[in-house]
Amino acid sequence: MLLIRESEENTKNHFADGNIPGFVHLYIGEEAVGVGACAALDPDDWIASTHRGHGHCIAKGLDPELMWAELFGKRDGYCNGKGGSMHIADVEAGMLGANGIVGAGPGLATGAALTLDYKGIDDQVALSFFGDGAVAQGQVHEAVNLAATWDLPAIFLVENNQYGEGTPVDKQHNVENLSDTAGAYDIPGVTVDGMDITAVNEAVAEARERAVNGEGPTFIEADTYRYRGHYEGDEQVYRDQKEVERMRERDPIESFRNRLIDRGELTEEEFETIQTEVEEEIADAVAYAQKADAPAPEEAYEDMFAETPPEIQQFATQAMPDGGHGGESR
Amino acid sequence: MARVGLVANPAAGRDIRRLTGGASVVDNRAKRRVAECVVNGLTAVDDPPAVAVMPDKAGIARHTREEAPPGVDVEILDIDRENSAADSRRAAARFREWADVVVVLGGDGTTRDVALEVGDVPLVGVSTGTNNVVPAPVDGTVAGACAAVVATALVDADAVTRRHGLVEATVQGDGTSLTGLAAIEVTDTSFVGTRAVVDPSDLVGGVVSRGHPAEIGLPAVAGCLGPLAPDDPGGAMVRLSDPDAADRTVRGLVAPGLTTEVGIAAHRRLDWDEPAVFEVADGVIGADGERAVELVDATVEVAPVADGPRLVDPRSALDAAGEAGVLVRDAPTLDD
Repeated sequence: MLLIRESEENTKNHFADGNIPGFVHLYIGEEAVGVGACAALDPDDWIASTHRGHGHCIAKGLDPELMWAELFGKRDGYCNGKGGSMHIADVEAGMLGANGIVGAGPGLATGAALTLDYKGIDDQVALSFFGDGAVAQGQVHEAVNLAATWDLPAIFLVENNQYGEGTPVDKQHNVENLSDTAGAYDIPGVTVDGMDITAVNEAVAEARERAVNGEGPTFIEADTYRYRGHYEGDEQVYRDQKEVERMRERDPIESFRNRLIDRGELTEEEFETIQTEVEEEIADAVAYAQKADAPAPEEAYEDMFAETPPEIQQFATQAMPDGGHGGESR
Repeated sequence: MARVGLVANPAAGRDIRRLTGGASVVDNRAKRRVAECVVNGLTAVDDPPAVAVMPDKAGIARHTREEAPPGVDVEILDIDRENSAADSRRAAARFREWADVVVVLGGDGTTRDVALEVGDVPLVGVSTGTNNVVPAPVDGTVAGACAAVVATALVDADAVTRRHGLVEATVQGDGTSLTGLAAIEVTDTSFVGTRAVVDPSDLVGGVVSRGHPAEIGLPAVAGCLGPLAPDDPGGAMVRLSDPDAADRTVRGLVAPGLTTEVGIAAHRRLDWDEPAVFEVADGVIGADGERAVELVDATVEVAPVADGPRLVDPRSALDAAGEAGVLVRDAPTLDD
């Protein structure tokens, strides 16, 4: 959680300084959901993420250096610098991708779960993170319905951060608890405190057990809160900053830190040490990414097709002084 | 005019036991209908009581007012809403001075929250929660009729209510306390997690204010060892152990959809205020089936305490109404 928080604080600053191209959506405040969930998964399990995906990447164990290289649009990044914040993916690490399309994650999770089912792999699951706004999207319904109908080993985890962009959740949904929608698919649904890592972890662990036991998908709603705007630069006219301050009192990191100290499992000094290590790790990742090379302009023609069609190749040859690298997929 | 308070907790009946046990989901639509039935049930008497409803985010109060039958005046209580258990407590505190009867739609947790603030106002509990020992699964209309006959004094409230006990846990040294209505549980889980006590093997023991094999959770376990009526004085302490190594085991209904063999290390009746002491190396104490306070190396005193809520027994209330002649009306004859 600390690594995510530190990385996101740095993302905020570098975006403000104009060092990060495109758009960023920060995960600050929601760390307990991503970390609580991924800690309940096995390394071989799959996750599908959202436009607010940095936290999921770190929670799934992706390398901050390669993540930061991607944020800066560098060649060493997870998508060779061409995806940026909203497309970081590492299939080898089980991370099927952040996703610029709201509600696109559940379809990927259902697909991954179908693959597991089809191949007879019974000790892995696929989990999709998605937001409260996504619950109103048609493709989420399709994905959950199919997974439920075919008893696929999927977990649908709604990060209800109370706002779909600027729309409060109660102005977008007729049910008070988004987990109530699970009943429509005849699968269990549960709402947990998304500011408490132990609650999220326990619920996902139960859902995972159901999935590997062949009992089908589970729908979990984690009630959480994002401290920053929908995107960096969002003026947040839809909410009072007092609300943000009130929610910060339940900060997932601060509260868990205090609990661990009360339990005698962590000292203030140990916490400071972890904090320092985390700051160093992210500083190193940022420094690495800053020094890394940007892709050459002609590389824009690469990584799009398994085999570059002749007309694209021809276009690249004409457009690029050196004729482009021509059709080699990285 | 007689007055009835209504507390309907939109958060009741949603915890993790829907994944781990056989608990069902009671959605807000169902709760709105139950609340509507309660208000309709009030028309069982000629001059129905006025109603005040706790405000809520799920539209239960608004629906109740909109669907109120003619002749029943429903207002929404004017209190600050936090969308948490604090709402139930705040509403109950207002009802302490205002209401003749309070109807509670929720589980043991909601009933406890109301009980802690409502004073001597009789409660009619309608179960919409999960691990319910106290509120009965009574139809909303029946609950409304019971509330009406008690609130209007057509029946004697003392004759149809039973005084429930409470259970209080105090952590030695730091003054932390926790109050349960039916039970305080001690578990050896490290964190509150999803709150519900999910795995019976996590239970170390606790103290109950009542027990019967037909109940659920720790009161069911205690009840198998010796029934304890809700209005019996005192409570009972139970310490659990590994069933394979125990001299005595009971087959307990530990959670919805879960019966399990539970080992009994000790069982003892307790007088009011007589504490059972639990040493908690690393555990959580809970109230009424919900883990609440994380503890490390703590000593906890748990004791039954008197003067809990007055609970209306629905069957007795309507029996009394029948005996009082308020349920039957004969047409006037020519001689009259």
